[in-house]
Amino acid sequence: MSIPEKIETLQSEDLHEGPRDKKSRKDKKKSRAQSQSIEGKSPLRIAMGRLVRDKLAMVCLFIVLVFVLIAIFAGVIANFFNVSTASVLPSQYIDAFNGGLPKTGPPLHGYDPEHPFGLAPHTADDNLAYWLYGCRTSLTIATISTVAATLIGVVVGLISGYGSGGLDRTISFITDFFLTIPFLLAALSLAPILNERFADNPAQYHTIKYWSLILILTFFGWMGTARLIRGEVLSLREREFIQSAQVIGMPTWRILSKELLPNLVAPIVISASLMLPAFVTAEAGLAFLGIGVDGASWGQTINKATDYFQLYPLYLWEPLLGIVLLVVALNLLGDAIRDALDPKTRR
Amino acid sequence: MRRSKPLAALAGAALLTLAACGGSGDSGGDSEVKGDFEQAASGFAKDPEAQGPAPEVPGATEGGTLTVYAQGDPGPNSLDPTEGWSVLGNSIQQAYMNRSLTQYMRDPDTGQFLLVPDLATDLGRPNSDFTEWTFTLRDGVKWEDGKPVTPEELAFGIQRSLDSDTFPAGPGTEYSKTYFLDADTYKGPYTDKGVDYQGITVDGNDITIKMSKPFPDMDWWGSFMAMGPAPLGKVSDPPAYGKHPLSTGPYKIESFRSSEELVMVKNDQWDPATDPARHQYADKVVIKFNQDPNKTDQVMLSGNTDAQTGISIGINSANYQKFQDTVGDRLVKQSAQCTNYTTPDYTKITDINIRKAIAYAIPYEDVWTVGGEIPGVTRVPANTLMPPGMAGRKDFYVDGEQITYNPDKAKQLLADAGVTGQYKLTNVYYEPDPLARDTQKVMVEGMKAAGFDLTGIPVEVSPYDIWLNPDDKTNKKLNLRGVNWCSDWPSGLTMLPPIAKTGAAYNTAQFSEKAVDDKMESITTLPLDEQPGAWGDLDEEISTQYFPIIPTAYRNEMLVYGEKVGAFYGDPAFGAPYYKDLFVKQ
Repeated sequence: MSIPEKIETLQSEDLHEGPRDKKSRKDKKKSRAQSQSIEGKSPLRIAMGRLVRDKLAMVCLFIVLVFVLIAIFAGVIANFFNVSTASVLPSQYIDAFNGGLPKTGPPLHGYDPEHPFGLAPHTADDNLAYWLYGCRTSLTIATISTVAATLIGVVVGLISGYGSGGLDRTISFITDFFLTIPFLLAALSLAPILNERFADNPAQYHTIKYWSLILILTFFGWMGTARLIRGEVLSLREREFIQSAQVIGMPTWRILSKELLPNLVAPIVISASLMLPAFVTAEAGLAFLGIGVDGASWGQTINKATDYFQLYPLYLWEPLLGIVLLVVALNLLGDAIRDALDPKTRR
Repeated sequence: MRRSKPLAALAGAALLTLAACGGSGDSGGDSEVKGDFEQAASGFAKDPEAQGPAPEVPGATEGGTLTVYAQGDPGPNSLDPTEGWSVLGNSIQQAYMNRSLTQYMRDPDTGQFLLVPDLATDLGRPNSDFTEWTFTLRDGVKWEDGKPVTPEELAFGIQRSLDSDTFPAGPGTEYSKTYFLDADTYKGPYTDKGVDYQGITVDGNDITIKMSKPFPDMDWWGSFMAMGPAPLGKVSDPPAYGKHPLSTGPYKIESFRSSEELVMVKNDQWDPATDPARHQYADKVVIKFNQDPNKTDQVMLSGNTDAQTGISIGINSANYQKFQDTVGDRLVKQSAQCTNYTTPDYTKITDINIRKAIAYAIPYEDVWTVGGEIPGVTRVPANTLMPPGMAGRKDFYVDGEQITYNPDKAKQLLADAGVTGQYKLTNVYYEPDPLARDTQKVMVEGMKAAGFDLTGIPVEVSPYDIWLNPDDKTNKKLNLRGVNWCSDWPSGLTMLPPIAKTGAAYNTAQFSEKAVDDKMESITTLPLDEQPGAWGDLDEEISTQYFPIIPTAYRNEMLVYGEKVGAFYGDPAFGAPYYKDLFVKQ
């Protein structure tokens, strides 16, 4: 992609204004040497270089990749351990006289190789299988919602920022309007509506619940991106390269996609990378409140496991650690990406 | 009387709370059985001679505050005595505030429960064919404001139970409306304003109730608070009266917030000499509704000051073992005259073999386990419609032995009925409750192995709201429902007709056979001592000939009380604590 003008700006910023450079002479020398090595590289590649050198970011990236692989190959891994999410008749595995705890494995007995993560109390569901598929649910929903929300946000932001006047005011009003709707309330009230409308056809109902969750997250996730992009576009569209494009009669859609968009890659990547962990938490939170997908979900497991925090702590820790690790890794990675793309804000 | 407990038990209701093999001991081999099902004692005796004051409870001391935690049960919305038809509301109000014609009492010598007089001087005097009952109001009974209770007020209170438009959920709709004279034309004092009702007459302190057909159980029906007085005039107008009904018992309302809390304090106008059963030991009684089971369990297990004077109705089964270790005997298993049923739709599943196949296809013990019940302790397999403890109950087995989960037998029966492939069943489950969702999953799994394809429709309201509404579009799709029913008094009259009579509200099987309806009608005209046996026979006849309703479980309720609570007994009439003797040890 061609990114006229911007390269020099970024480079010069990095060389002369970056906080790092002001620290000492030594640093200055070092960065000057650096500047020679990055000559001719695109700002994204420069950012990538910075990211790769960030050890914490690399660790987080590794963790996230592991989770992604788990999500993709959940079925394969479950087969490898010979576990599944299928319901079983629990009375043969559960000791009802002992608080409904399983007869094998944790918390009362030793490690059970047939069920590495143990069995759930009362239902005797396999915890490992539910954990693996819960990871898939979590990441799939968060990823689709992030992509969709980012797309909407970017398109709305571009149109709103570039098309000034009435169009901008209308779109800004709609954005603000969406921001005023309390997310949790809307999500909670949607569950009974969907139930009323679709529950009579249970097979279809489960699919609808899945996609409506993605829709809800998308609907309440795009406004931040839209406002961010609008602000960027407002400042960019007065720049010479845009004005010259307008003067030579470039069609608007081309200005948007070829001139503006490439300059917005940094804020888009940043907002998407921070949106992802937010959606993972939101999905788990909604599942905990009892709205959300049927089947395996970390949030739902946590909801059930809170009753057992004393008797069977492992049951609660498994999904909890999954969520915490994934969200912390995603957040730190998002921060690192922001730092790499926008060195001015580096701490 | 329906047992309503929307949270935990809806799981039950939704999923129909099933039964399993095991009883009290032989369940599943390797698990050591650490508890037993409490068998109900059979029947209740009557003592028309009992007079106030009630015998002192040995060691009882005055003072202190009793706190009752009702786990996950929102309690009654209205305290109007005419409206009360729930286990929690009636057991508390009748023990503390709202007196009626008769009442139950625990005999301190034998531990047996007796039907004894309350506001009336005796248990009523029927005429020879039970179409006219006369009760005499005691002298010296006063309202909480000091005014004497008049016979006219008692008559008016009873008359209110005929107003089924004003009190649609009241027990009067089942009994007063069926048996009282002209009940089909007279719509009650609020709906038929100013109309003179001829069915109840007052002569001095005597109140005479006339029946349209023989009603030998009037003395039992008299133990409902709906058969008590209501002040004349505007004071008792519904719905406002339900917020603060006037008390005639040993306690009166200090404050009431629906679904949250009811606080009662001593009523100084109550005269112990007029009351054969109630006491007034504690200074204050606090009922806390809708309590989080986990929170309450932690309080009760901690043994702190709150717990010492506390009573918990229900425990979370996850903590059962802990309770046994910690509180020991203060964990009380109370039998209740209740049965859980699964009801295949009689109009859609017409082949008795298929209905029997369903009975063999329910994975009873698994469903209990997953729903948080303890097989053999809080649930045991049921074999008859009438639960143990009811007069005249016959212990029989439809197929010669207890029906248990037996997929092969179910498939065999389906084949006999000419069914090829999976037989389709549709039920509902209460979606917001994770227990109900898990239970449904296990039901589907268990029934699949037995040749049934069960589809569950998730609903956001109580399944009763679906089952009891004939116009509901979801209800029309169902061919498998359920109901949990408790007797109102130990007569088959309160068990069989409400669930098996054509058109009865809780007849969720939509069972309708003229022969059975006629039989029910004729049993009430039999000589008194033959009736219990006749109900038992009818139970057997319905099950062996038609098998329309699958009894899945008899229930035990778990009650816990603190160390400083004295004279705690379970009340077999309600399957609740017996509140009348309770005191706080000082």
